Amino acid sequence: MISILRRLAGGLALFFLCASASGETPPLTPADIADAAVTDEISIPMPGEFMAALTKLGKLDWTTKFRPPVSTNFSSRAQLALNLGGLIADGYVAIEAEDAPQVKNIGKDVLAIAKILGVSKDVLDRANSIANFADTAHWDQLKEELEATQNEVKAAMIEHKDQDLVTLVTVGGWLRAMEVISGQVATHYSPPGAKLLRQPGIVVFLDKRLDGLGEKMREEPSVRAVRKKMADIDKIIAFPLTSAPSAEDVKTLNALTAEVVKEISKKPTK
Amino acid sequence: MKRFAIPLILSMALAMASLAQNATTDDEVAARNKALGLAGAFGNDGFKLRDGNWAGTIAPGKPHILQVNLYAGNQYWFTLGATPAGKKLAVSVYDETGKPIETESYQDASEAAAGFAPLASGPYYVKVEVVDGASTAFCLIYSYK
Repeated sequence: MISILRRLAGGLALFFLCASASGETPPLTPADIADAAVTDEISIPMPGEFMAALTKLGKLDWTTKFRPPVSTNFSSRAQLALNLGGLIADGYVAIEAEDAPQVKNIGKDVLAIAKILGVSKDVLDRANSIANFADTAHWDQLKEELEATQNEVKAAMIEHKDQDLVTLVTVGGWLRAMEVISGQVATHYSPPGAKLLRQPGIVVFLDKRLDGLGEKMREEPSVRAVRKKMADIDKIIAFPLTSAPSAEDVKTLNALTAEVVKEISKKPTK
Repeated sequence: MKRFAIPLILSMALAMASLAQNATTDDEVAARNKALGLAGAFGNDGFKLRDGNWAGTIAPGKPHILQVNLYAGNQYWFTLGATPAGKKLAVSVYDETGKPIETESYQDASEAAAGFAPLASGPYYVKVEVVDGASTAFCLIYSYK
């Protein structure tokens, strides 16, 4: 801890930074690229990174991105996991909006779902920290707590040999973040904003994970709803480097993600 | 000042505890602590540490490559920590076609970092390697703002 404080005190002034000479470095080969590792833990962007980029395009009213509370009581573990991911993305929205009551409500819902999934012991301390940071308006620390909560939930799921649930938490969070961001870009369209939606490869990665789910989980209605829409979403977000999706494309993306998020949070009819 | 320092320290301590809890060997713990120590300095400049890491073992001449997805407008620092066996390390960044990207870089015994601001959103590749030394446990983390 002392060494960290020393580093903090010294800050970047102590660094001997230099620009790397990219011209001398050989490019990666196609084989290097094909063999590159892709991990759920670090290759898939967190909603907070997405939102950090979006806020640089101009101030926005994050409270308009809130949605009505979703149920935390589903009988399907798959649906619970998808909604847990979505709720964590909602948490980022609430933090960006600097709305303490909303952050605390979402924290309670996250804990409720974690409890049903049997991983609440692992996130109880985090939930308490989230409430404390919300009360004291430490928004940056809250973002870190939320990321840590998501990772601890996933770590607990892995420990309980529930890798399928980890995939679904990731997918649920990514879809809800896409809905929020595409909604903002659709309402205030600009080519730089639309270019932020570019994420080629992510749907392919998530699709592979969804294909690898156990058969019973793959056939859950909420999972089927997600898998049905992924290819259509990919068509819009995998655009070439030099272009931007049109305003119409962004609206379509928003409609697709909103529809699937709604489907995920719908209570099944008996 | 105290008002800001306490949550910052608490937050970093929690991040360290969170990242360290999945470590399985002493070497992995050492590599993670090294990376976290270096990344802590970026926090001083407003960078947020992403909670998550990529860890393993690297041997000289056998670099490892990771795909990440980054956003235009954000700035990133990729920080690598290893054990003292990895005497000199390097982190380099490539665009989605495999072309190397110019980065700010930092290098010291068993730690290295590369920082840049992507011009386009999308996939990038981060290569970690041992330039001098023996096989070592490594841990890569990243920060953004």
